[in-house]
Amino acid sequence: MNVVSEKLKEAVLSVVPIIIIVLILNFTISPLDTASLLKFLIGALLIILGLLLFLIGVEICITPIGQLMGSFIAKSNRIWIVAVFGMLFGFLISIAEPDLHILAGQVDTVTLGVISKLSVVIIVSLGVAVLLSLGLVRILYNIPLNTTLFVIYAIILFFSVFSSSEFLAISFDASGATTGALTVPFILALANGVSALKKDSAASEKDSFGLVGITSSGAILSVLIMGVISNIKGVSGSLETAASDLPGLIAPFLSALPTAALEIFCALFPILLIFLILQKFSFKLSKERLDHILIGFIYSFAGLVLFITGANAGFMRVGSIMGNDIALSGSSTVLVGTGFALGLVTVLAEPAVHALTNQIEDVTSGYVKKRTVLAALSIGIGFSVALSMLRIIVPGLELWHILLPGYAISIILSYIVPSLFVGIAFDSGGVASGPMTATFILAFAHGAANAIEGADVLIDGFGIIALVALTPLITLQLLGLIYKIQTKKKGIEDNGAIF
Amino acid sequence: MEQYSETAGFDLIYVITNCGTGSRVLQLAKRSGISGGAIFFGKGTVSNRVLKMLALSEVRKEIVLMMAKKSEGSNFLKKLNKEYKLYRPDHGIAYSVPIAGICGSRTCNFNITDEFGGMENTMYQSLIIIVDKGKGEAVVEAAAKAGAKGATIINARGSGIHETGKLFAMEIEPEKEIVLMITKSEQTGKIVASIKNNFQIDKPGNGIIFVQNVDETYGLVE
Repeated sequence: MNVVSEKLKEAVLSVVPIIIIVLILNFTISPLDTASLLKFLIGALLIILGLLLFLIGVEICITPIGQLMGSFIAKSNRIWIVAVFGMLFGFLISIAEPDLHILAGQVDTVTLGVISKLSVVIIVSLGVAVLLSLGLVRILYNIPLNTTLFVIYAIILFFSVFSSSEFLAISFDASGATTGALTVPFILALANGVSALKKDSAASEKDSFGLVGITSSGAILSVLIMGVISNIKGVSGSLETAASDLPGLIAPFLSALPTAALEIFCALFPILLIFLILQKFSFKLSKERLDHILIGFIYSFAGLVLFITGANAGFMRVGSIMGNDIALSGSSTVLVGTGFALGLVTVLAEPAVHALTNQIEDVTSGYVKKRTVLAALSIGIGFSVALSMLRIIVPGLELWHILLPGYAISIILSYIVPSLFVGIAFDSGGVASGPMTATFILAFAHGAANAIEGADVLIDGFGIIALVALTPLITLQLLGLIYKIQTKKKGIEDNGAIF
Repeated sequence: MEQYSETAGFDLIYVITNCGTGSRVLQLAKRSGISGGAIFFGKGTVSNRVLKMLALSEVRKEIVLMMAKKSEGSNFLKKLNKEYKLYRPDHGIAYSVPIAGICGSRTCNFNITDEFGGMENTMYQSLIIIVDKGKGEAVVEAAAKAGAKGATIINARGSGIHETGKLFAMEIEPEKEIVLMITKSEQTGKIVASIKNNFQIDKPGNGIIFVQNVDETYGLVE
């Protein structure tokens, strides 16, 4: 089996479940018009192809670059270099993240320009930069992950008290927005590169994870603080949520392509730039390896562009039609149930999820299996989408009613389960909220909110990413608890063999 | 000083297979009577010019390491050959290498004598020590105290008969570290003893040591 067939299998298996669920829904409760269905299938094909290229690109390009940079800054053995480069990496990758610009635009709109788009982008990027650099310093100084997270979330809690509930939702959504499909593999590899230098192999393993989680909390903190300082009491205005629907089957894809290409180019460019500069002055890789990495850039770029195009032009519309239909026709149980099912399968197609599960298998030599992590993640996202539907149906249910106990449980669990799983869980939070959730699940929720009376598209729309980032924290830590219990050696007292 | 005589009748089996099949190979081995093994990742290359040009020439592999009695081992290899079609190209490789001494396994007839045996011809021996994750560094230190010059640590996962935890239907294979070193034959006993005492290898569940004879070495500088 060569790389292509291996990755093709991975890509097909990740996207097929969502196709099946949508087809089932199509033939049962929510029939789609032929054009939408065909567009969905074309989109799915593009997503499979895109995922295939992207997964190869991550393996031969993004991951090696992240690891090289991680070990470069750690080997410098100077704390200021780690801090400065951490800030630099964090700022550049965050400011280039397309999702952040979308979110910032929304904040600008709903605060009626009190908080401008530019200030959101810059302040969130600063927050991400500071926290990324803090996360790197944490790895080098062996500060426990659970303590770090406890402190960060305590500060977040403190500021949440002064924040309006709408702005709370926006700030937690920001955590998902900054950790896109490209940044996650990069940050994961960065953490891996830094921690791989540790002599203590157990510490080096568990510290390979957690950096994404810490980094994304930087976005929450900065938006929250911004909201409190500008004294935003409520949000108003309306958002353009309907997906554009051009006539024809191919036209929507062609019109989505250039936007996606520009976005991905902007996101990829800073990483490429830093890499080329460091290559000249420090890495000095052989020509062959350099060529491989540069070819990998092309794979990553083409892959993500295809993926985003497929998701935007093929999936978004179907998501919103289905949300609308099911909310109108079905009972609330059906809506919540469908949400659960969609959550289960959507996360499998998230590109960053594969970067995470691959790194988990690599770092633990296969002790924590990909399938297991995917299952836990899937169940988590299922619950979060179901909860989002519940929020749309039940007007009294506010976001903090779920977030507060959720994070409290997560922090408590982080003191019980093995630190490896704490890191994995908090990373998954950022990983699960990628382009797939942002298009399909958000569109589904918007569609449902449109159909239900008393539901506010704006308020119920915000907060979904926040829930998607929350539930994996719990399910993956519970998985860690099961592992902890089950890994104990049995029968040592017996006169048996070790091996 | 303890020395290890030729424990004839035991082989170390290596199976190099495609990524993802290592666990199944290990389960097949366990069904064939082999008590356990360790698995680690490696990278293989494809000799295909087009793939090389497209930067797609690296393949992930899994390497399964196990110990078995000669007869059991050869039965297992035959079964493996049939089930995984190793006789076809690109379906994996399996081979076995004789072991000179074993320490830490109760299912094996562990042979420890005070005499030099079976090593008149070999200047050097290779030690493979498998311990739980995180102990590899300490193994190297214990070996260094007894005169070992250096070692290589490989991350692995593995399972023996004590490790039967299950996650739903899936067997959990806990993390291990494999320590590789080349030692002078006359030092082997001392080094093994030092590791053995530090980690109570002869008690069940604490790890295992293989000693193999080495014919030629290069790059070992005195």
